[in-house]
Amino acid sequence: MPRAKDHMPTIIMGVSLIVYGLIVNTGALLATMKYLGTHKSMDLQVLMSLILGGLTLAGALINSMKEPGDSLFDRFFLQPLGGVIMILVMAMAIRWYLEPLVKIMSTSLQPVLGFKIYKVLNLNYVVLGILAGVVLTNTYGIPKFAEAGVKCARFVLKMGVIMLGARYSFAELAKLGVYSVWLIGFFVLGTVFMVLWLGNLFKQPKSMTGVLSAGMGVCGVSATVAVAPVVKAKSTEMAYTIGTILSFGIICMFIFPTIGKLAGMNPVQFGAWAGTGILNSAQVAAAALAFNAVDIKTLKVAEIFNITRVLFLPIIVLVLATWFGKESGQKLNFKTVVIDKFPIFILGFLILFGMSSSGLFSPPSHYKGKYIDVSYNDRTQVTNEEWEVLNKAMAAGEFSGLNAEQMEAVKDLIAQHQIAGNYDERNDKALFDKVGRARMTQLEGVLAAAKAKTITLSADVKSAIKHAVKQVHKKSKTVVTLTDFMIWFFAFGLIGLGMQITKKSITQAGGWPIVMGAISGTTKAVLSFFVVLWLVKDVVLN
Amino acid sequence: MSENNTTPENGADANEERALSVFSSERNEDLTALIFCLITTFLVLLFTKWLV
Repeated sequence: MPRAKDHMPTIIMGVSLIVYGLIVNTGALLATMKYLGTHKSMDLQVLMSLILGGLTLAGALINSMKEPGDSLFDRFFLQPLGGVIMILVMAMAIRWYLEPLVKIMSTSLQPVLGFKIYKVLNLNYVVLGILAGVVLTNTYGIPKFAEAGVKCARFVLKMGVIMLGARYSFAELAKLGVYSVWLIGFFVLGTVFMVLWLGNLFKQPKSMTGVLSAGMGVCGVSATVAVAPVVKAKSTEMAYTIGTILSFGIICMFIFPTIGKLAGMNPVQFGAWAGTGILNSAQVAAAALAFNAVDIKTLKVAEIFNITRVLFLPIIVLVLATWFGKESGQKLNFKTVVIDKFPIFILGFLILFGMSSSGLFSPPSHYKGKYIDVSYNDRTQVTNEEWEVLNKAMAAGEFSGLNAEQMEAVKDLIAQHQIAGNYDERNDKALFDKVGRARMTQLEGVLAAAKAKTITLSADVKSAIKHAVKQVHKKSKTVVTLTDFMIWFFAFGLIGLGMQITKKSITQAGGWPIVMGAISGTTKAVLSFFVVLWLVKDVVLN
Repeated sequence: MSENNTTPENGADANEERALSVFSSERNEDLTALIFCLITTFLVLLFTKWLV
C-alpha cells in the first residue's frame, strides 16, 4: 500500500469509529449516556459508527492502494472522504457529548448565575458547530487530508434547507388569519429592504448586505444558509449574520418580557410581538415563556408568528436574487428571475413543504411533526387507576372551582376514558374533531388554573389530566426522522462553514454588520410593538 | 456600492470561496442536493410509514 501514510488519519478515524460503535453496543457507556441524556440515541450511535467506520476504512484502503484519479467516484467519494468523516466525527462529538455537557454544566451553574448560560448564549449544536470549526481552523489549521471534504459543507447545508420544508405545513399558515400573514409579510420584506438600504448607506459588500437582510428579515440561521449561495456570500459573512442575529436576540429575550408587561400587553399581543421582533426560534420561545409561563397561548402565538416567516423564504430568495442580479449589472426580465435565478434547492424546500402540507408525512395540520388526534383509540385512554382517581375526585367535589365548560370536559373524560368528540357525532369527522379539540383546550385550561393556583387539585388528579392531554398529542415518526436528518445536515454544514472562517476574514468584515443588524432589528422591534398594540386584538388564531 | 470595498485581496478571497465546492457548477450542486433529499425522504417514508 504505497500511499497508506497519506491516508493514515482517515484509517485511524475509521478504526476508531468501529471500536466506538462496538463499545457502545456492549452497553459499557450506558451510565455515561444516561447522565448526558443521550441513551435514547444508543442504537443510532452504534449504527452510524459502524456503517461510517466501515465505509471510511474501505475508502481509505482503496485510496492507499490506487493513484488519485478524476472519475466521479474519486471526486465525490474517495477524495472528500477524509474531510467528510472528520467533520462527521466532530458533529457526533458535539451532538452526543459537548451539547448535552454544556446543558448540564449551565444547569448546575444556574443557582450561582441566576440563568442558564446555554439558553442565554444559545449554545446549541449550531453555535457549537461553527465555534468548533473556527477554533480548528485558527489553531491547528485544516489538515491536508480533510481539505477536499470541507468543500462539501455548502452542499450539505443546502440539503438541510431542503429538509426544513418537511417540518412545516400549509395548514399551520392557514391558522393565522390573512390579516396576520400580511402583517408578518410586511415586517419580513420591510426588514429586508431596510438592511439593503443600510448596506448601501454604509457601503458594505453586496454579499454581506444580502445575507444579513435575509437573516434579519426571515428567521436567523436557516434563512442565512438559504440565501448565502444566491448572493454569493462568504462563510465569514454568514457567520457574522448568525452572530448578529443571536446577539440581538439575547438582548431582546430580556427586554421584551419587561416592556410587554409594562405596556400591559395581553398574551396574544405579546406572542405576536415576540414572534415578529425576535429572530431565533429558541429565543422567541424563551421570551414568550418569560412573559407568561402559565398560559401556553403566548408561546403558541409566538411560535406560529415565528415559523410563518420561514414560509416567506422562497419570496425573499427571489427578491434577493433579483436585487443581486441588478446590483451586479445584469439585465433581468421575469423569466430570468423566476426560472433561471430561482435556486433549485429552494424548489426542493417547496417540494418537501408541499409533500408535508398534503399530509404525506403526517396529518396535514401538523406543526414540526406534532399533531392532535382526538379519534377513538384504546391507546389514547387514561389508565384504569387514573380513571378511578378522576371518578373519586368528581364524587368528592374536587372540581367545584371549574367553570361550566371545564367541568363538562372533565365529565366527558370520565365518561369516555379519553379526550374525544361525542360518540353520536363520530360520523361527522369535522364536528367530532372540533368538539374533541375544544375539550382538550378546556382540560389544558384546568391544568393552567391549577398551576396558577386559582383552583386546587390533588397531584394524582393533575397527573391523570396531564396524561389524558398528552395521549392526544401525537408525533409523526416520519417528520421526526426527517428533522433528525436536517439537524445532522446543518451540524455538518455549519462545522464546515466554521472551518472556512479565518481570523483575517473576521477582521476584514469589521463591526458594520453588527451596527446594521442593531439598527434594523431595533426598528423592527419598535415598529412591530406599535403595530401589534394597535392592530392585534385578542383573537388572531382561527 | 461594494465595488469600492473590493480590494484585489478581497476579490481573490471571493473567488477562492466560490471554488470551495466539489461540484463543477451551482446547478449541479443544487440538483444533487435535491435528488439526495428526495431519496432520503423516500427511504424515511418507506421505513417509518409504508413498511410499518
